[in-house]
Amino acid sequence: MSVRVLNPNAEVLNKSAALHMTINAAKGLQDVLKSNLGPKGTIKMLVGGSGDIKLTKDGNTLLKEMQIQNPTAIMIARTAVAQDDISGDGTTSTVIFIGELMKQSERCIDEGMHPRVLVDGFEIAKRATLQFLDTFKTPVVMGDEPDKEILKMVARTTLRTKLYEGLADQLTDIVVNSVLCIRKPQEPIDLFMVEIMHMRHKFDVDTRLVEGLVLDHGSRHPDMKRRAENCHILTCNVSLEYEKSEINAGFFYSNAEQREAMVTAERRSVDERVQKIIELKNKVCAGNDNSFVILNQKGIDPPSLDLLAREGIIALRRAKRRNMERLVLACGGEAVNSVDDLTPDCLGWAGLVYEHVLGEEKYTFVEQVKNPHSCTILIKGPNDHTIAQIKDAVRDGLRSVKNTLEDECVVLGAGAFEVAARQHLINEVKKTVQGRAQLGVEAFANALLVVPKTLAENAGLDTQDVIISLTSEHDKGNIVGLDLQDGEPVDPQLAGIFDNYSVKRQLINSGPVIASQLLLVDEVIRAGRNMRKPT
Amino acid sequence: MVGMSMQPYGIQSMLKEGYRHLSGLDEAVIKNIEACKELSTITRTSLGPNGMNKMVINHLDKLFVTNDAATIVNELEIQHPAAKLLVLAAKAQQEEIGDGANLTISFAGELLQNAEELIRMGLHPSEIISGYTKAVSKAVEILEQLVETGSETMDVRNKDEVISRMRAAVASKQFGQEEIICSLVTDACIQVCPKNPTNFNVDNVRVSKLLGGGLHNSCIVRGMVLKSDAVGSIKRMEKAKVAVFAGGVDTTATETKGTVLIHSAEQLENYAKTEEAKVEELIKAVAESGAKVIVSGGSIGEMALHFCERYKIMVLKISSKFELRRFCRTAGAVAHLKLSRPSPEDLGYVDSISVEEIGGVTVTIARNEEGGNSISTVVLRGSTDSILDDLERAVDDGVNTYKAMCRDSRIVPGAAATEIELAQRLKEYANAEIGLDKYAITKYAESFEFVPKTLADNAGLNAMEIIAALYTGHGSGNTKLGIDLEEGACKDVSETKVWDLFATKLFALKYASDAACTVLRVDQIIMAKPAGGPRRDAAQAAGAGAEED
Repeated sequence: MSVRVLNPNAEVLNKSAALHMTINAAKGLQDVLKSNLGPKGTIKMLVGGSGDIKLTKDGNTLLKEMQIQNPTAIMIARTAVAQDDISGDGTTSTVIFIGELMKQSERCIDEGMHPRVLVDGFEIAKRATLQFLDTFKTPVVMGDEPDKEILKMVARTTLRTKLYEGLADQLTDIVVNSVLCIRKPQEPIDLFMVEIMHMRHKFDVDTRLVEGLVLDHGSRHPDMKRRAENCHILTCNVSLEYEKSEINAGFFYSNAEQREAMVTAERRSVDERVQKIIELKNKVCAGNDNSFVILNQKGIDPPSLDLLAREGIIALRRAKRRNMERLVLACGGEAVNSVDDLTPDCLGWAGLVYEHVLGEEKYTFVEQVKNPHSCTILIKGPNDHTIAQIKDAVRDGLRSVKNTLEDECVVLGAGAFEVAARQHLINEVKKTVQGRAQLGVEAFANALLVVPKTLAENAGLDTQDVIISLTSEHDKGNIVGLDLQDGEPVDPQLAGIFDNYSVKRQLINSGPVIASQLLLVDEVIRAGRNMRKPT
Repeated sequence: MVGMSMQPYGIQSMLKEGYRHLSGLDEAVIKNIEACKELSTITRTSLGPNGMNKMVINHLDKLFVTNDAATIVNELEIQHPAAKLLVLAAKAQQEEIGDGANLTISFAGELLQNAEELIRMGLHPSEIISGYTKAVSKAVEILEQLVETGSETMDVRNKDEVISRMRAAVASKQFGQEEIICSLVTDACIQVCPKNPTNFNVDNVRVSKLLGGGLHNSCIVRGMVLKSDAVGSIKRMEKAKVAVFAGGVDTTATETKGTVLIHSAEQLENYAKTEEAKVEELIKAVAESGAKVIVSGGSIGEMALHFCERYKIMVLKISSKFELRRFCRTAGAVAHLKLSRPSPEDLGYVDSISVEEIGGVTVTIARNEEGGNSISTVVLRGSTDSILDDLERAVDDGVNTYKAMCRDSRIVPGAAATEIELAQRLKEYANAEIGLDKYAITKYAESFEFVPKTLADNAGLNAMEIIAALYTGHGSGNTKLGIDLEEGACKDVSETKVWDLFATKLFALKYASDAACTVLRVDQIIMAKPAGGPRRDAAQAAGAGAEED
């Protein structure tokens, strides 16, 4: 081989061997992820290097945690990650769709077809499918008052594929409400404004939405109140602790009095700042029994804490930066960077602030806020793996709601779109295509069926029966999806199963591209310098 | 080249070296179940009052002799991922209630064992899960019906009522000594129970273990027992006011480095004098405020100590921040940061504070019989460290039970009466069910039988006879029939007074079922190469369950 001549150490796979390697890898990855798809999919258990456990059904998590080495598999996994970045869902579908495209292609290639022709067919089919998707989608109006029912249905569809049914249904409301809470007119939705906090406590069904904020730390002074009602909230980024100067300074004194004076002088500037806050507190809390809460991004040292505690002020130090932003959105007021010009206008408001202690960990709840534009999803669960699982699911759920709000349309789920698109390709598009590219279109169309097929397989139904009954219904002009309970065709609209438009769009877009690339590989060469072991 | 041309099909080829991948029913599900079974066989023999003790030696060569499941599984360092799920469930139970960890593991093990039978019969795990889930919600429903009427409200300060609820939990750890321990724990808990019982803090009941003597020498101290000596020579103080300083009792210092500038010998002398005067002034101020005891959280300077002695002030040092906080709660004092004159309301009060020697250990006992005291200490005496540790765990369980009953005082019959009733009613429910769930629910019901079976087995009784007798009794409507382990017969629990807390049972049931279902839901395991570090020896790996293939 020519490469061998140039570099005797090179490893080369050529022609059909290369193609089969890539096809096998794609199929292998498909096999792994296949059982995850849909609400009836099974869970994978990942055991980390240190013995930590992760349970997941999410394709993206799985691909991230498994350290894949096969080059083809890595390429596919990257596409899936891109899918997740863009739409937050549909990673598993992407991988199995690519796997299926490769499988269909393998059959054609074995019959003597050239990969290039197949790729042309894929391209035609892809464009046709995207056009079809635009006609097939169900537009929903997302004005100022979005249709909550549709959002719930979309969120539920996503969540049910990640968690068991009871929990998914409960999270649906939480997810939808939280997105609507942070939504501001004419502004893109920033999902970071939903804080996701977890507590290892009670059961997974105790997960709830907190209108306000939950911070994972508490006050550091034993005498501060644990619970306060009607609170003025001061969000600030002011250091209330003694800071050493940059230069190497020292004190010189010759008797103890002088030293005492030094000690007080040293603290004076900090004390002044604390005093200003206390003045503000006295101004707003005079004559009523309102409380005052300080949330500081910088530190507060024990003497300052002590001063504040004596005034009945609750002070939290070292709040996270992202929480400062959220606090202002949740409670109102503004974050101040200096105590020089404090006015009551800077203050936010919360009806209830309290501390919850779980063993060693402290949590501070800021609740009952007015007009929140930020909220917290408080995830509870008895152990870490449950929490991690819910967290991933909630994130995907939030994304799906956001996508719907932005797309202003949804796509019928439960495999309905895939079957409809396939019938469209076979019955309409294929006839318009000239020559051998027809076979590419056909392979593409058949590959689409992998989604309903896998759904059926995971639910323990007979794949062939399901596909036949679905396609025949579609030929009659009824748009149906698959009911996983009894394996009968069902109208997804009635069952409330909707997918995101952007998820499907991305899926149709990226799947064929990567499959085409893989098909056009005719040589795999490993000849580069070995990076790990320098010789 | 080998790796690429001989490309094996499947996932194994795609993973990094050292990864292991298990999938499918035989490889993953059954293996997982086996590991969990192994684990539950270990804990099961420790269930109940007659449970056996385990001797566990952990990786630090520390010896544990206990029948407390939470401790056992903690020290075992389980490696198998599925078994770990059970351990996590037990830990959650331990954190939430503080008792019933053994029940959680053993019950989850039993559920999985029965699930295995169903799988071998040909049921799909997802069908078992759906059946189990139905059974759990039904079981919770039944459990609520079984709650003893009139137990919703209780006076958490009534010793008898508390003991009746606590006895079963303590008896399962220290059978035969439950009366003494219960009485100690109850006294301690009632003393520190706040006005609103739901705010009861477990941390307020301290345990102090002192070697020597026997359990009968144990006692309750209203206040704190510190395992340290007083710093100065004054060892005893009655009815004293206490000043607490979180920082040290010493000369003050600046944050920035200070240098004493001295030009002549005179100045040096003066400096020492002013220093002295300053400290004296401070100590004097404290003494004038009426304080007779100074408690310091940091270092105590020689000079400061000298002046304290002179002003007849007793000095204590508590270096742990948390201990200091507790001391503040005992004495009702407010901690000052720096040595300064304390205001009268910041001063605490103790009835007596004295240094005593118990069993060769010097301890400082601070007593405060009334007012502001929210700490009480159980002083445990025993002949060996491991006995003391085990007693401590029993006390902890007792205290946790108290906390749980403060929140939810409902009780259900103990001594396996509840389990048999649950089994019976669930079986009826299963019979009414149509479809495949029926099998799973029946198995779930049968799983409850392991409780009476294990209790009887551990007590050396004939389990089959007992279970049969229980079923007969429950069938005829006596829902409170339980095992009397001493007589080896079935007896009404209202006579034997064995009650369990509803909350303990509820959480154990839920966590166990949750863990079992999670194990069943997994059909693939992908294991990373274990991270570096020394290899665990083979003996430990074998102890951790079916680790090796």
